[in-house]
Amino acid sequence: MVTLTIDDKQVAVEKDTTIYDAAKKAGVVIPILCHDKKLKPFGACRMCLVEVEQMKGRLIPACTTPVTEGMIVRTSTPPVNKARKLVLELLLVHHPLDCPVCDKGGDCELQNLAYDYKINTNRLTDEKFHHEIDYNNPLIERDQNRCILCGKCVRICDEIVSRGALTFINRGIKTKIGTEFDGPLSCEFCGSCVSVCPVGALLPRPFKFKSRIWALTKKTSVCGYCGTGCNVTLGVKDNKVLTTVYDENQGFHNGQLCVRGRFGYQFINSEKRLKTPLIRKNDQLVEATWDEALSLVAQRLKGAGSAAAALATPRMTNEELFLLKQLMTVQVGSQNIDHSAGYGHSAVSEGLAKSLGVAASSATILDIQKSDLILAIKTDVYETHPVVGFEINMAVKNKGVALQIISDKKGKLSRLPGANLLLNKPTTEVVLLNAVAKVMIDENLTITSATPELASALNEFTPEKAALVTGVTADEIKSLARAYAAADKAVILFTAGLSYPGADAQLAHAAANLAILGGKLGKEGSGILALQEKNNSQGAIDVGFVPGQGGLDALRILEGSATGTIKTLLIAGENPVVSYPAKAKIQKALDSVEFLVVADLFLTETAQLADVVLPVCSYAEKVGTFTATDRRVQRINPAIPPVGQSRSEFKVYSELISMLGGQPVATPAEAFAQIPAYSDIKYNELAEGGTFSSITLQPVQIVPKANMVVSDSGNYVLLTGAALYHCGTMSLYGEGTLAVSSEAYVEVSRADAVKLKINDGDQVKLTSTDGVIELKARVSPRMVDGVFFAPYHFADASINTIWSGSTVTSVTVAK
Amino acid sequence: MTEAVAVTENQEIEVEAEVDLSIADKVIERYKDIPGNLMPVLQGIQDDYGYVPRVVVDYVAERLNVYPSQIYGVLTFYAQFHLKPRGKYIIRVCMGTACHVLGAERIRESFYDRIKIGHGETSGDRRFTFELVACLGACGMAPLAMVNDETYGKMTVQKVEEIVKEYSALPL
Repeated sequence: MVTLTIDDKQVAVEKDTTIYDAAKKAGVVIPILCHDKKLKPFGACRMCLVEVEQMKGRLIPACTTPVTEGMIVRTSTPPVNKARKLVLELLLVHHPLDCPVCDKGGDCELQNLAYDYKINTNRLTDEKFHHEIDYNNPLIERDQNRCILCGKCVRICDEIVSRGALTFINRGIKTKIGTEFDGPLSCEFCGSCVSVCPVGALLPRPFKFKSRIWALTKKTSVCGYCGTGCNVTLGVKDNKVLTTVYDENQGFHNGQLCVRGRFGYQFINSEKRLKTPLIRKNDQLVEATWDEALSLVAQRLKGAGSAAAALATPRMTNEELFLLKQLMTVQVGSQNIDHSAGYGHSAVSEGLAKSLGVAASSATILDIQKSDLILAIKTDVYETHPVVGFEINMAVKNKGVALQIISDKKGKLSRLPGANLLLNKPTTEVVLLNAVAKVMIDENLTITSATPELASALNEFTPEKAALVTGVTADEIKSLARAYAAADKAVILFTAGLSYPGADAQLAHAAANLAILGGKLGKEGSGILALQEKNNSQGAIDVGFVPGQGGLDALRILEGSATGTIKTLLIAGENPVVSYPAKAKIQKALDSVEFLVVADLFLTETAQLADVVLPVCSYAEKVGTFTATDRRVQRINPAIPPVGQSRSEFKVYSELISMLGGQPVATPAEAFAQIPAYSDIKYNELAEGGTFSSITLQPVQIVPKANMVVSDSGNYVLLTGAALYHCGTMSLYGEGTLAVSSEAYVEVSRADAVKLKINDGDQVKLTSTDGVIELKARVSPRMVDGVFFAPYHFADASINTIWSGSTVTSVTVAK
Repeated sequence: MTEAVAVTENQEIEVEAEVDLSIADKVIERYKDIPGNLMPVLQGIQDDYGYVPRVVVDYVAERLNVYPSQIYGVLTFYAQFHLKPRGKYIIRVCMGTACHVLGAERIRESFYDRIKIGHGETSGDRRFTFELVACLGACGMAPLAMVNDETYGKMTVQKVEEIVKEYSALPL
């Protein structure tokens, strides 16, 4: 500890603390423009100049100077104030005084400091800048005339986002923030740069001229997209969510959000929201009252037994899922309930459940930065869970955590410093992991020794044989095994969800075996983290929204609907027509089922086929809890009243339970108390940031099934998955996310593009045994030859026309 | 300093569609394991291509794992780098105080009259690039001009004519 005096206050701080942070601890506020607690000290703005007794004769920048023992600091002397005034005057020479029409007005750090230091005149004058404003993208406006060159945007884009879209270009008076070749901004549009901009140089366009920041009511919530469980602050005015508001102290992620979290909020108050229930009359969906709609549904469900089934989205709250489960299993008497097409959760609900003894990840997102080694399997985490990507980034760049990647395509992760990519042939991950386990056993690198069953089952997975199957060399496999075993703490990441048919129970078993053998379970910075697709995927598993005893899983429910064994199907929030594999079959099933009820926010492709459509609330309108992918249980509260006549699903299913003679719980708190997985969590004590549900690990070595088959090369294969800008099909109703990624595409490697004479932007026809689809080609450096990738979100060219659910689909390509 | 004269249409420079990346490869191979190799790589590329072509920026970014934006930042910071093709003969006219007093402006005009390019511009055939510089450090020879490494002191309008003739006759 170092003791020093700041403005006559004694303060003791850690060694290597800066004067700025020490002052903060002592309660002394030093003005700053270029500093951010998440970023490395930079020292660009010179607002934080202070006097240090021991360093007389010059003023010292507080944000870059480390404290020393006995330092005497004065932060507000006449020379200090004079210098700061000059800094502000210099900035205001070029900064336009267009505050009345600047969206940053009232929330601008330069404005506030100019006010604090009473800069009402300026001794200096010069012409203002005449930079052209970048309106080229729909989300981020760049007005370089207002820029004060603090460099926070440049640094956050490098240090945390690792995209490096922005940089300082030119020199001297001509310096400005720009992109390569000074072109339009082309990036992930996460808006991190916007969030840290102290002035109005970077602004969120969807919020332009909507409201002054201070006129908004700020409501904290939990993002409703992916399973990361980021906290968000919604800016609300006149019962509308107008923006997300950055709060650097919010959540484990310090307010960092991705494009969906920051800009994808517009679906909440979208014009397209369903406002009233709809009932099919004369083959037309017409508006109806809730009473009509619900009594119709109740009639159909009454005594339906196993002829009824329900598919729910893991975007619903735990309490809603709990009630829907009760409705189906108790009142209706059907065990046919499921979510995420059944296979979308099997990595956790079956894989980890058997391997770890608990259907949940053992590690949390917080373990990533505390680890020594990250093994990322088949995950484009930057696309699926961008904020987890930021965590990996900071772990690798700032903490020197080693990064090993097993993937069938190159991605942003593999560009991190020191990242080691093992590029495997699609579908061979389990073989690869088994070979790694085999090496660990053979070279005596295990902490827990392998069971005889596992050891003998792994015998055929020699690295040499696995090399032939996976396309990864035996040496690479061996060095991965050695690196993993040698790491004191290691986290294994893989993605699980609708769009990851390959990330199944076998993959989870194989990954868990490494953790068990390597002794990497049950300690900080170690374990298995399944990155699940939706905001409450883990909750749906915890609540047990999976087929009960003898019940049908999602795909069998749809088969049953087609054959007529399922007569009444309730789909809550899922959009199988677009997101489940084998579109033709799904459509047939939904067409042929006698009675289809859809509860959704929008008239989705699935809802259009329904007999009754129930308009329900978004996460911004309801009460309840979500469980993030790492078991973090968080509470949400309504930010706005329900849109139109929409109702929370808690209310909808409560009513249906009552109508069928049951006794629903009165409040979400009561429902929560009845979920066994959360027995040790008190609903009312859940604060912002939530609580991790506790688990007891009972690791078991399960033999993962994998085919040691060398795949025939020469054919083209198609992979599907998630694109960065989207999550499920809900993000297609967010204008922001839709604006930057609006149409379906297929990614093609450079060599394949040359071979097939495909140019970027060409329409290409992909044919599989299931059908034909036409997509726009994107030539991408991350793709491996022979492998195509197409995201699954888009309804107008939905990939499930040619994708039937297998991990890879053989396709032929034509222009 | 006088503003550069507007470029006429025939002086628009066609950037080569096909850039041979193997040249960049050789430069990158030379420095690839040295930390802080971006500057020498870019300097080597500039030497070998005569400028830094855009596709090479993207290529270097991929090979050295540096953001393209960062490379562009470096390229625009240093005056030594050029993003457009340059002429074979770089004509520099000194506009420093001594040269100014002795008629540097007329020298500039004379060059413009003959080769029709202004400050920072390159002729359509990429024979000449014309630059005005603040001081070449040989005030005793004012007014001064340079073509590549050749120095021409006590410049006159006639000498401009001779220089242009001389270099126009050389092979491209």
